[in-house]
Amino acid sequence: MQAVRGTMADEPARGEEKTTEEPVWTVSGARLESVLDTAVDGIVVINDRMQVLAYNKACEHLFGYSVSEVLGRNVSMIMPAHYAAAHDGYVQHYLDTGEKRIIGIGREVAARHKDGTEFPVELSVGEAVTPDGRQFIGILRDLRPRKQIERSLAQAQAQLVHMTRISAIDEMGAAIAHELNQPLTAVLLYLQAVVRKSRDKSLLDAQMLGVIEKAMREAERAGEIIQRMRQLVEKREPERSDTDVAPFARSCVELVELGSADSGVSFQVRIDPDMPLVSMDPVQIRQVLVNLLRNAREAVSAAPVRQVSLHVTMDEGYAEFRVADSGPGVPKEVVPELFRAFSSQKRKGLGLGLAISRTIAQNHGGDLVLRQAAGKGATFVLRLPVECGIDSALAPDQ
Amino acid sequence: MTVHIIEDDYGVADALATLLGGVGHDAICYPDAESFFEAPPPLSQDVVIVDLGLPGLSGVQVVRWLEKLKTPPRIIVISGQSNTQIRNVISKLRPVVFLRKPLSEDLLVPHL
Repeated sequence: MQAVRGTMADEPARGEEKTTEEPVWTVSGARLESVLDTAVDGIVVINDRMQVLAYNKACEHLFGYSVSEVLGRNVSMIMPAHYAAAHDGYVQHYLDTGEKRIIGIGREVAARHKDGTEFPVELSVGEAVTPDGRQFIGILRDLRPRKQIERSLAQAQAQLVHMTRISAIDEMGAAIAHELNQPLTAVLLYLQAVVRKSRDKSLLDAQMLGVIEKAMREAERAGEIIQRMRQLVEKREPERSDTDVAPFARSCVELVELGSADSGVSFQVRIDPDMPLVSMDPVQIRQVLVNLLRNAREAVSAAPVRQVSLHVTMDEGYAEFRVADSGPGVPKEVVPELFRAFSSQKRKGLGLGLAISRTIAQNHGGDLVLRQAAGKGATFVLRLPVECGIDSALAPDQ
Repeated sequence: MTVHIIEDDYGVADALATLLGGVGHDAICYPDAESFFEAPPPLSQDVVIVDLGLPGLSGVQVVRWLEKLKTPPRIIVISGQSNTQIRNVISKLRPVVFLRKPLSEDLLVPHL
């Protein structure tokens, strides 16, 4: 009751006629006190002279001042210096003109702790006309936790974009290397066949033969360039760390939900209890899961039921991440080519997402497969071995 | 001895056959595993060159089938796939001769 009692004590000048209202004040005051002190947000009541009339428990935590230090003093003490200097002017401006700049609107402002630390709060202000004059009620929500979450989400997203770009380049490099290899192999073998035959039977004069041998050397050079390109894009090994998959899986879904606020798609996460730690590269695997979840979201965008679920479970030493959707399923004719680079049916994008995702899964010693029953939506299953070690054991050419 | 070439890329298959013909070997090309299985099985003195990335039945399935023959031919696996993919596939097989594309005469002929 300190705060509201303080209000009464600070108004000793009130006359006798007020006593009739006293019981009313006490009852509602007691209720008010419990309401104020139960509130999670900071609540401050001031009068038109900027004096603090009420200051709840949450404020004590928020600002470090106790009730007794604040009551009756100018509210500017909990503001950074530049706000504090202007605040009296703001209030006076409102009192003079009636122009509302914050009342009923609310905005993000800076607040100041007793120790001088400044921090962001969401401030909303209400106004009440009381027998004692106008009073303003400020509700303050600490924005630091939300800012922290926003920052880490933004970081995760930036990292994701970066990694997606890198692996798009990798996958594209690998795909180009593979596609170019075929005609290059053919060119080399044809030329070698000609050279061998004409050497045996002296079909060509030395000059012609010299030209063909030069052409052959150029083809070999192109082959070496492809080799080097391949080494560059293939050496990226996962940077593994033992990962708790439950919060990890939830954070992936959060990332996707962030971009689908008004899509009408509902996301569900189910994680089996007792999941072990999984040795994996969280950045790469997040990329895979986010890609699968986004695909799923797109797949259901025109469906009558728009549901996407992520189920995390164990299967014989493998952690399985199953991304299922309520969409129409992957068309039969698309299935064989689904995981190949550049095979996308989508208009936007390069069609590298699934190819990259599978490469990442296989780099982890796992795999990415499509499971779907007729008439049901698609389920993509990402399998990762809980224990790694497969990778280093089977590296014949390294 | 006959060299059986199972390779879906026409250019690669034809160039291989041309080169091997020049070295004096008979070569037969098959665009996929299915057409290879339809033909009479290879003899023990034959060589089978098989690409890993075939459409339909995979190169791995061809190798497995060949290994089960009473008198299996020599097998050369070729591929233009990435290391990782190859590693995944090869690990499932018994040791075979494996050549990565691009191929060349020097690389290939010693294995014939």
